[in-house]
Amino acid sequence: MSLPPTPSSGRSPDRTGPPAPGPESAVPMPVFDRFSTAPEAWGAPVFVASRAGVPLIELEVLLEAGGEHNPPERPGLAAMTASMIDEGTARRTGPELSAELERRGGSLSCHADWNAARLRLQLLSSDLEYGLTLLAELLFEPAFPEHELERLRQQTLAELKRRADQPAAVADEAFAHHLYAGTIFALPLAGDPAALLALRRDELLEFHRDHYRLERGALVVAGDVGHEELSAAIAGAFPAPAGAGAAAMAEAAATTEATAASAAGAASPAGDPGTHARALRIVVVDRPGAEQTELRIGHLGVPRRHPDRVGLGILNTLLGGKFTSRINLNLRERHGFTYGASSRFVDRRSCGPFVVSAAVTTSAIGRAAQEVLGELRRIRAEPVSPSELDETRNYLLGVFPYGLQTVEGLAARLDEIALYDLPLDTPARYLAEVAGMRTEELARLAQAHLFPDQALVVAVGPAEVLMRQLAELGTPELWRPAASTGSA
Amino acid sequence: MPTLEGRPLARHQLANGLRIVLHRDPTLPLVAVNLWYHVGSKNERPGRTGFAHLFEHMLFQGSANVGTNDHFRHLQEVGGVANGSTWYDRTNYYETLPSRHLDLALWLESDRMGYLLPGLTAEKLENQRQVVMNERRQRVDNQPYGRAMERLFELLFPEDHPYRWPVIGRMEDIEAATLDDVRGFFSTYYGPANAVLSLAGDFEPAAALASIDRWFGGLPASLPVPRVRAPLPPLERAVHDSMTDRVQLRRLYLAFRTEPFGSPGWWTAAVTANLLTDGKSSPLVHDLVVDHQLAQDVSAYVYPTEEVGVFLLVATVRPGVEVERLAARIREHLDGLAAPAASPSAPGWLAALDAELERARRRTLAGIYSELQTLDHRADLLSQYTTFFDAPERAFSEAAAYQQVDIAAVRAFAAARLGAPNSALLVVEPEGERA
Repeated sequence: MSLPPTPSSGRSPDRTGPPAPGPESAVPMPVFDRFSTAPEAWGAPVFVASRAGVPLIELEVLLEAGGEHNPPERPGLAAMTASMIDEGTARRTGPELSAELERRGGSLSCHADWNAARLRLQLLSSDLEYGLTLLAELLFEPAFPEHELERLRQQTLAELKRRADQPAAVADEAFAHHLYAGTIFALPLAGDPAALLALRRDELLEFHRDHYRLERGALVVAGDVGHEELSAAIAGAFPAPAGAGAAAMAEAAATTEATAASAAGAASPAGDPGTHARALRIVVVDRPGAEQTELRIGHLGVPRRHPDRVGLGILNTLLGGKFTSRINLNLRERHGFTYGASSRFVDRRSCGPFVVSAAVTTSAIGRAAQEVLGELRRIRAEPVSPSELDETRNYLLGVFPYGLQTVEGLAARLDEIALYDLPLDTPARYLAEVAGMRTEELARLAQAHLFPDQALVVAVGPAEVLMRQLAELGTPELWRPAASTGSA
Repeated sequence: MPTLEGRPLARHQLANGLRIVLHRDPTLPLVAVNLWYHVGSKNERPGRTGFAHLFEHMLFQGSANVGTNDHFRHLQEVGGVANGSTWYDRTNYYETLPSRHLDLALWLESDRMGYLLPGLTAEKLENQRQVVMNERRQRVDNQPYGRAMERLFELLFPEDHPYRWPVIGRMEDIEAATLDDVRGFFSTYYGPANAVLSLAGDFEPAAALASIDRWFGGLPASLPVPRVRAPLPPLERAVHDSMTDRVQLRRLYLAFRTEPFGSPGWWTAAVTANLLTDGKSSPLVHDLVVDHQLAQDVSAYVYPTEEVGVFLLVATVRPGVEVERLAARIREHLDGLAAPAASPSAPGWLAALDAELERARRRTLAGIYSELQTLDHRADLLSQYTTFFDAPERAFSEAAAYQQVDIAAVRAFAAARLGAPNSALLVVEPEGERA
């Protein structure tokens, strides 16, 4: 290094405790906007997060076309329909489409989860108009070519085989299978071999016609773009209905816009996923010889729009949602059973799961499961101390700006607002609820929403060891997933 | 197009040898604090592997003034996000936190740089040994294809080369580590002269420098650590092997030695990797996954390693496809790139190489812009370029380095490095099906 050394002051600081912080600075709020466009042009609400100085733009079309709409005999239909959207349009083949987009430096992904289908496009900012035009083409003129469907069918069948090799994926599948037995959520989102082999092109067309409806969707935009520029670009990309699909959508948009907001965020079409189990249930999936066992413990959670949902997020952070949470400190730092353990409430329109996850040394699996259940019982039975709540509160308030650094992070927040029909000031409401949380309320939330004695315990590892060790908790059942036998 | 080039950077060095880089960006009230120690698994020796990484875990177990688990606790209770990672050439420690708590991060980092040993106990070592053994099980032993990279690097690097053993180490070596090992490692490698401290975010540079001086300036100077030098020429003869794993789909790994990170040849390798497999329209993805459906997936990337670079190509074989057929087709693409006129069956995309290169450059650029959005990434880059090249300004000129790669360079790279003689091929076969 060529620079002269900086002279040292020689003063020794007080190291015995954490130094005092600097002056408080206001938590910055993201600037979110929502506006409507003329129904004949776009029709769906537009959600915008402006972010100056980033040369990237994130465009997302959000549609109520997720796996919750799968017919019971066709798991995988929503996922396949979404994957097929960019495999060709009336104007161009899929390879032509991706070649043009990628030459501009863009990336596109079309996927469905349980809640929604998403067309996500990331581009250099200068390509805003191009991006909107591309989205219009994908939405209104998908061709669903037969040969591309066949290719994706084979690719997905191979993907299911690969998933069967991954112990964590097998554990998630077994957990969903038993927690949501009898509902569409029990089946893999990507489908099973039988349904994938039976899937026909006209079923995709029908699903697209019924569920890719802009009037029940949203456009999410994040980047260095203003309201006016965006409105003009949208009008340019959707100058007039470009086909029969567009005409139908525009008409529907005109008539249903008023009711759209109240329809969004309503209960899932798949219905109520059921009630809590009566007793603890233990399921073992055999993976002979594995020195580590994938463990899942949990039960049904609450829908995203449940009034307790934000509070449960705070409770979960303390319980298993950060490194210094009770569950991670117990399993990792106190016992060394695992590299990491965590818990979460998964959001859906209907009741998503609450689940604790860890990969645990097989020889300690009985004790690890007991410790997890013990933590769930303890947080229900004993009050949380004010200092522990303070730690969690300050953590959540402090990390809040972290997610605002990127256009992807901003788009994700808007996506949630659009998907669950939440108010635009959801971030401010969230911070207020975190700031106002009390220990009594945490106790109420734990008692109302955690059910250790009715939980589902899933363990993927060597069955002979697991059956023996988990017998302390109850009577384990052995389950053999269908996908791993590979009927394809 | 706005870029980060030309953003303000300041560099300093304390009398004890600690190098400092400051990059101010007040967009959000956050600051990223990032420390690189120039020590990694390459400083280990066979039979004593995994130590740099186990040591990294011990740095989160408290120091003279910080209790066990309190490192994370102090940071998390102000809303900080923190972690560390170990690699072949370096170990890094980082946290991003509300900028008013900058002193907290400096206190924690300086306490463990200066006063780690008083907090050390056998009990803590034993606990973290168990955690690391579970990390290895989770990432390697109980993961499909998890042991493939270890085997591949044994093919690519000779017996005594420091990239030959895995960063996480061998299970029996992790078990054998002692407290004396921890003490010795600390004294040798964790002094200020072997470290770089970078800050990115919302702070006043003069005040931040004064704070850094207050917390780190009093730590005793350390001896410079001689760099482990281990350059390697290309392989002289192709090597290959196969192994079995608990998987249903075969996978092939094809690795080549390249020039080290930061050299012109390394940038060319990186662009070539993106040219071949980045995006659905890239030639290998289009040909192998979409068109001929020989592969379930294919991806190429380069390792940013300091002594020897690695160009890696990984492809999962479609059920029912012969692995030899897939490997041969990949070789056709690579050979065609090296000598386009050589084969009449050369893949068609080679005729439009300029368009493919333009795609690779633009996608790389978009990727760089995307990564540079976060303060943690910027701080890490600053530490990286200072540690390796004493040149923090290069952190924000990566886009320019990529843009300079032209077709002639790509062709020359493919000819010199992507031919069969410089390759290590590993095939992972399903258990019970090995021929």
